[in-house]
This record gives sequence, structure tokens and C-alpha cells, in this order.
Amino acid sequence: MLYINDMNVYYGSSIHAVKGVSFEVKPGEIVSLIGANGAGKSTILKTVSGLLRSRTGSITFDGKEISGYEAHKIVSMGLAHVPEGRRVFSNLTVEENLEMGAYTLKGNVEEVKKDIFSRFPRLLERRHQIAGTLSGGEQQMLAIGRAMMSRPKLLMLDEPSMGLAPILVEQIFDIIKELHQAGVTILLVEQNARKALEIADRAYVLETGKIVMSGDGKTLSESDDIKKAYLGG
Amino acid sequence: MTTVIGQLINALQLGSIYALVALGYSMVYGIISLLNFAHGDIIMVGAYAAWFIMTSLNSFLPFGAVAAIAVVFSILICTLLGAGIEKVAYAPLRSAPRLSLLITAIGVSYFLENMAQMIFGAGAKSVPNIISIGSFHVGKMTVSWTSAITLIVSVISMAVLTVFVKKTKMGKAMRAVSEDVGTAQLMGINPNKTISLTFAIGSALAGIGSILYCCAYAQASPTMGSMLGLKAFVAAVLGGIGSIPGAVLGGFAIGLAETLVSSVGLSVWKDAIVFAILIIVLIFKPAGILGKKKIEKV
Ligand SMILES: Nc1ncnc2c1ncn2[C@@H]1O[C@H](COP(=O)(O)OP(=O)(O)OP(=O)(O)O)[C@@H](O)[C@H]1O
Ligand SMILES: [Mg+2]
Repeated sequence: MLYINDMNVYYGSSIHAVKGVSFEVKPGEIVSLIGANGAGKSTILKTVSGLLRSRTGSITFDGKEISGYEAHKIVSMGLAHVPEGRRVFSNLTVEENLEMGAYTLKGNVEEVKKDIFSRFPRLLERRHQIAGTLSGGEQQMLAIGRAMMSRPKLLMLDEPSMGLAPILVEQIFDIIKELHQAGVTILLVEQNARKALEIADRAYVLETGKIVMSGDGKTLSESDDIKKAYLGG
Repeated sequence: MTTVIGQLINALQLGSIYALVALGYSMVYGIISLLNFAHGDIIMVGAYAAWFIMTSLNSFLPFGAVAAIAVVFSILICTLLGAGIEKVAYAPLRSAPRLSLLITAIGVSYFLENMAQMIFGAGAKSVPNIISIGSFHVGKMTVSWTSAITLIVSVISMAVLTVFVKKTKMGKAMRAVSEDVGTAQLMGINPNKTISLTFAIGSALAGIGSILYCCAYAQASPTMGSMLGLKAFVAAVLGGIGSIPGAVLGGFAIGLAETLVSSVGLSVWKDAIVFAILIIVLIFKPAGILGKKKIEKV
């Protein structure tokens, strides 16, 4: 579904943040991308969704080369991105945030909204509340709900569990599993390597801009190197 | 008593023009953090457009028709000019530092003023009053139709704008881009289109303002936009730049302050008071009356 081949991303002329990364996400998979702070995880997602450009290689989504596309065109092809730090529109209401998620949607927005509200009853309760006043967990739900409003085939999540209490982390991972069961392919970026490997069909490990390991989630979580570096011994 | 009310009406008339212009400053600042110093000069161009129609078509067509054409033409010119300036001068600088953008805006302002001077000369042209229907009485008071219509038109424009920004899909997208361009793009919103639209709307309001200004002062000159623009800018800052109700509030407040100073015989101070207000706001409440503290993006 998503093929990334030889991605090289620079900030300015000197910072080489992503160095020749290649990987793929197959239809129906949950793929996790783990790595330490500054490894280049967010940069990869931003490049896939068109906010940044790779100097080389190709990005193929759903059979189409999308590496030259502008970000606002990529969403309508069925690729949604929940950015790091949630980035809800804090001056807009919960409902308006969801409507923005459906900006490119052709067809019945109300219908999709109903579906999202049934998945996230908390958002329904708060539909007229200004998003900036939601709690962190609620904002994360809103960010995911908003991305789902475009009815994506592939959902990319950038550290959805960041800064959340353990119980909320559980909830967010449950939501990801549910979305996956509903047929959405998932590319998950996480610092919480334990959970990310547990949920993943396959995973890639990123270190300073390079993929250093890959495999199925279970194998990786049992590898000694991974245990030492990411799972705390 | 009647003089007080009379002055109040003057204040409302002046204030509504400031408010219309302040809205353009505020909307543009809200969306690309630019103090668009060329915004005042758009009003000047609008005034010349009105003058041109009023003086060139008046021998062929009845007055009402000429006035109507002048209004439409002037608003159209302003809208196209505003959106055109954005495309040509500001859009290429999207990723440049903010200061470059600000300097460009000042450059555009000088360019427009000098162009006007070259084409029309440095002197003022007198613009025939578009609302030439005298006045009406409320009790013992005489109210000019110009004042009344100015106020009504402004209030309607602001109401339409508010509904647009609050309720329509485009309006919501505008607010989304104002807050976070990158995330708005992830929603599928085209930021360039949204920014163009913002300039077009702000400039259309300036076009309306320029017609109303001509009705009040009956002249067009190359530099008329700079003082009007500056005062509207102060109004926008006073209300809280970026905020639509703030711009309206600021506009009326500045109109009121100026009228008040003039009415007690200190009209030489009427410009100074506006800038005194600016300084006071910047010292004590830099975010303005209705402005929010800007949340720095991380
Ligand atoms: N806007 C930027 N300008 C310059 N350098 C940047 C910018 N954004 C990221 N970088 C650098 O690029 C590298 C990769 O950053 P990125 O945000 O992709 O890391 P990450 O893996 O997502 O980290 P984290 O887990 O902390 O979110 C880092 O060294 C970072 O300092
Ligand atoms: Mg990151």
C-alpha cells in the first residue's frame, strides 16, 4: 500500500535527518516505526504526507507516485496523518475540528461525523467545546477522530501516546486496534516501544536517520539489542 | 444634547470606516502574521476608481447608474488589487523571514502611492458624493443620509463577514489556516487559496471603506491611504490584532476618540491622540482588548 524507497530528507543544507530510508506498509498491516528522540521518525511521516520533500527516491501510495504532490492533495487520496503533539485547532470547537478533517470528503459529512461520535462518545459530549480546553487525552482522541473523518485507507499516527497517563495509553492503543479491525491500515510512530511492538505486525527501528533493524513485532521485542536500547533492559 | 448626539453620529460614521479597514489588517495578520502596510493604499486606489467612474460616465448615464457602477467598480478593483498584491509580492516570500515580508509590504505601499502620483498628479481630486440624498430628521435632529448609510453598510458588512467566518466551510478553513498552516494542509486545505481569499475579502471591505470615505470627505489623493491606514492599524491593535470583533471595536473606539478630541476644540490633536492610544495599548495591553496571547507554535 505504501512503498518508500531511498528517502533522504534535509533541513537546510547541513542537517541530514533521514538517510536513505526504505520500507513498506502492506494493506491491512499495523507497522510500527520506533526510535529514540531525533531519530527522524516525524520527519519521515511529514515527508510521506507532503509537508517535507525527499531529495531522492520515491514514495508510492496505492500504486501512485506521490512524492511530488502537495500535502493538501495527498489527504484526498486516502492517506491521513495525525501529527505529533495532536495539533488540534485550539480555537475551533470539537465539531469544527472534525469538519476540517472531512474537508476533502465528497459525500455525507454528517454520516461520517455520526460514526466518529459513536466511536468517541466523549467527543460527542464535548462537541461544542473549544478544542483548546480539552484534556490531553481528549485532544488525542479528537486528533485521531479528525484524521478518520477523511475516511483514510492508511492512517499514520505520530506518537499518539505521548504525555498520556498509562490508562489513557491503553485506551489509545485499544482505539488503534479497533480502527485496524475496521479495515484501516496503520503506520505507527512511537517512543513507547513496548506497546508499539506488541501491537505491530511488523516494525522498523530507526537510529539517527537510518533503519537499523526490522522484523515482525514479536521477534524484535525479544531481541537483546532492542531490549537493551528501547525496552529498558 | 443634540450636539452630543450629532457628534456621536459623526464618531460612528468615522468609526465604521476605520472598522472596515481595520478588519483587513486583522484578517491578514491573523493568517500570515503580516502587517500589510499596503492595505491603506488599496483604499486610495478604490477612491480613484470611484472618482474615475463618477467623473467620466456622468455625462452619458443618469446619476444613480453612475453611482452604482462606481461602487461596484471600486470594490472590484480593490478586491483584485489586494489578491493580486498577495500573489505577486507576498506569496513568493512564504518561507522567507517575516521581516522581508514586512519590508515588501512597505515597498508595495510606496509603489502604489507613487504610481497614483504619476498617473493622477500630487493634488487631490474631488469625488462627487455618491450618496447625494441629503438628510432626514429625528425629532429636532438632522442626520445626513451619508452618516446613516455608512453605519448601516458597515454593520451589514461586518455581520456578513462574521457569519462567513463562523459558519461556512471556507470560513472555518480560514480560521484553521490562521492557527496552524501545516496541520490545515494535513486536512486537505489549500493554504494558498485560503490566503488569497483572505486578502480578497479584506480588500473588498477596504473597497467598501473607500466608497464610504469618499462620501465623507469627497476627495482622493495619493497619500490619503497612509494616514487612514495607520489609524485603522491602530484600531486593529487596540481591539487585538487577529480578532474580528476586536477590529470592529477598535475602529469605533478610535472614531470616538478622534471625534471627542475634535469636538472639545482640540482638533489639531486628533491624529496625535490616535498614536497616543497606540503607545498606551502597546505598553499596558499589547494583545489588545479582545486579543489572545499568541500561543507559540512548537
Ligand atoms: N525544523 C527543523 N529544522 C532543523 N532541524 C530539524 C527540524 N525538525 C527536525 N529537525 C532535526 O531532524 C532530526 C530528526 O527530527 P524528527 O523530529 O524527525 O525526530 P523524531 O524521531 O520524530 O524525534 P522525537 O521522538 O523527539 O519526536 C533531529 O535531529 C532534529 O533536530
Ligand atoms: Mg517526532
